[in-house]
Amino acid sequence: MQEQERFFNELVRKYSEQLYWHVRAMVGSHEDADDLLQDIFIKVWKALPSFRGDSDPFTWLWRIATNETISFLRKSRVRAALSFSRVDAEAERVADPNPFFDGDEALRQLRKAIAGLPDKQRLVFTMRYYDDLSYEQISEITGTSVGALKTSYHIAYEKVKAFLTDPD
Amino acid sequence: MPYSTPEGYFDSLQCRLSDIPSRKRRFNFTPYLALAASFAVALLAGNYILMKSTADQPASDEDIVEYLIESGTTLAQLEDAVYDY
Repeated sequence: MQEQERFFNELVRKYSEQLYWHVRAMVGSHEDADDLLQDIFIKVWKALPSFRGDSDPFTWLWRIATNETISFLRKSRVRAALSFSRVDAEAERVADPNPFFDGDEALRQLRKAIAGLPDKQRLVFTMRYYDDLSYEQISEITGTSVGALKTSYHIAYEKVKAFLTDPD
Repeated sequence: MPYSTPEGYFDSLQCRLSDIPSRKRRFNFTPYLALAASFAVALLAGNYILMKSTADQPASDEDIVEYLIESGTTLAQLEDAVYDY
């Protein structure tokens, strides 16, 4: 048990900040990212006994985080649908001015464009663009083939480009 | 990244996250609650089945005779009762 706790704390120390930015890029708001990070690390702690020492902790951690984030985004969409707000309105909500947004107008538009992407495309785009992960790493995390990921990224890239060219 | 966080956020984040193992140990009642709940459900279901099986069946003649013998009712008392009735 002590060994597990030591390993858990090591994961927290090494990856929590990087994981925060990954989650933040996916969900937009600081409060959502903070809540989600707590949930992710609770899942990590519970799953720790099943972690095999020979696998890469980074990939394992990112896989849990990715599943939790996608599930969070799905729930947010259901909540938005139940409250009759539109998905693009939700995307605007997370991208619009908030106290912890530092970017200029161009970055805000980029954020809005990314927030409007479907979950899987947003995930691939975020992992490539912000996290700077290779297709091979993303493939290991998501269980999707490199070819499919390249296609997803290309489509996402084109959508973002089109949005930035003509936001309306 | 076009975002920022509140001052000192990552220090407090690491503290909160590192506290998860001890928090989970302190409040890990879930298995006990699940065990208690399944025990209660089994008890209620057993009770319900027992009540239903005894309530639905009318007593047979043999049951009535057995009851009368066990309760010590004599033939004379029975005859009196039938006569009074």
